[in-house]
Amino acid sequence: MTNREKLKALLIDILLLEDSEFRFDLMRKDIETWDSLAIVAIGVGIQETFGYHMTPKEAVALKGVPDIINTLESKGISFDE
Amino acid sequence: MYILYESEVNEDISRLDKAWPEPPTFIFMPDRSAVSREWVEKGMARFPDSFQENHFVLLTSGSTGMPKLVIGSRKRAEDLASVIHNVQDSEPVIQTVLALPLSYCYAFVNQWLWSRVEKRALISVGGFNRPDNLKEALLAAQDCMICLIGAQVPLFVSHYGDDTSFPGVIRVHFAGGPFPQQSIHIVKRFFPNAKIFNNYGCAEAMPRLTIRPLEDSDEGSNIGKPLPGIELRTGEAGEILFRSPYRAVGFYDHDGLRIPSDEDWVPSGDLGEEIDNHYWRIRGRSNEVFKRYGEKISLPQLMNTVCARWSGQAAFYRDKDPSGEEGHVLILTPEPTKEQVQNILQAFRKNHPRTHWPLRLESTPAFPLLPSGKIDKAGLAKIKNATVHWRQRL
Repeated sequence: MTNREKLKALLIDILLLEDSEFRFDLMRKDIETWDSLAIVAIGVGIQETFGYHMTPKEAVALKGVPDIINTLESKGISFDE
Repeated sequence: MYILYESEVNEDISRLDKAWPEPPTFIFMPDRSAVSREWVEKGMARFPDSFQENHFVLLTSGSTGMPKLVIGSRKRAEDLASVIHNVQDSEPVIQTVLALPLSYCYAFVNQWLWSRVEKRALISVGGFNRPDNLKEALLAAQDCMICLIGAQVPLFVSHYGDDTSFPGVIRVHFAGGPFPQQSIHIVKRFFPNAKIFNNYGCAEAMPRLTIRPLEDSDEGSNIGKPLPGIELRTGEAGEILFRSPYRAVGFYDHDGLRIPSDEDWVPSGDLGEEIDNHYWRIRGRSNEVFKRYGEKISLPQLMNTVCARWSGQAAFYRDKDPSGEEGHVLILTPEPTKEQVQNILQAFRKNHPRTHWPLRLESTPAFPLLPSGKIDKAGLAKIKNATVHWRQRL
């Protein structure tokens, strides 16, 4: 499974998205389930899946999927297709 | 005063018939219970002289893990049996078949005592401990009444399949837990000629407070109207309080002996509210409504969401998330498919904010049951082989 596929599966699971709802340019404001508890869950899920411990500040600052990818890529986790 | 064990009565039900008119008060105990004989005897020793005769005592509340001896007046209980006879439209009934343990207050008053007071036949064949005998008795039944709890509906399906019905049963009563509104089509299939009632009460009421004929509402949480002579109101926290001329006259638990006066309002242990035309709606056990991140969580309401998408058995048990906040776990049986899990989760997403979502969605091959047939909620949290299908990552 590629990192892109792992991230997609993780966010579908946390945000309870339908498969067809997911996009890699999805923004937090577009999804009602991306709430304050989801921010915590995304932080925990990122650590479990990619091994990177996101700080609370980083998790709160995420505005969408592109920000998650940028944050992880800056830590050396590749999302190349 | 003495202890009468259920196994003694099951062997020879005339023991109960003999005990009832004799003066000494008796404690009718299940054979297996969460309390020792010493604890019961300690409680008996504290009973005042006025309770030493013409009373009976039942043990209740195994499902919450807080055992309580409930002391009933025989005269009050007989009066209630007569009231029940009228409100349950039981005049045409000539017999009743037991499907619940007799030490269960609901079966004791609504079946054994009712049959004694109204001079109807009581048929005891071991309930679902002997499902073939129960089936035979129900097939042979004529103008029969049966008392059930909602959790027994799946037992009818698993034991008797799709092609059995019991046309001789003309009254079916539910009490002792959530009314099985979602599976009422199954109840009607098994009992095509029965009037169905949702009865509400508690052991402290000994046991009946309200009644609703099925057709009065399509809402499972609608418990109907109070019985004649019974008053209901809600306390500050929304808990149902009652006054009843039939209720238990004393209670003994780990806090000691309590003897309320007739003026006292007694909590039923549930939350509820009055709705239209004196009908009442139950909102769950007091311990089934709690706050999570400041939001009020009602497990019975969440169960409605689950039952709309899941036809198997489902239950919640309480747990805490890693931050120490109170939460709840949804557990199903039998094993759901991936699609069914997604279906239930999507129902949570659609109908409830995340704080109301379960911490985990689990399944197990079978639920642990209490001797009464109710789900052993304390036992759910101790299941070791539960499969986790989904979890909130918190």
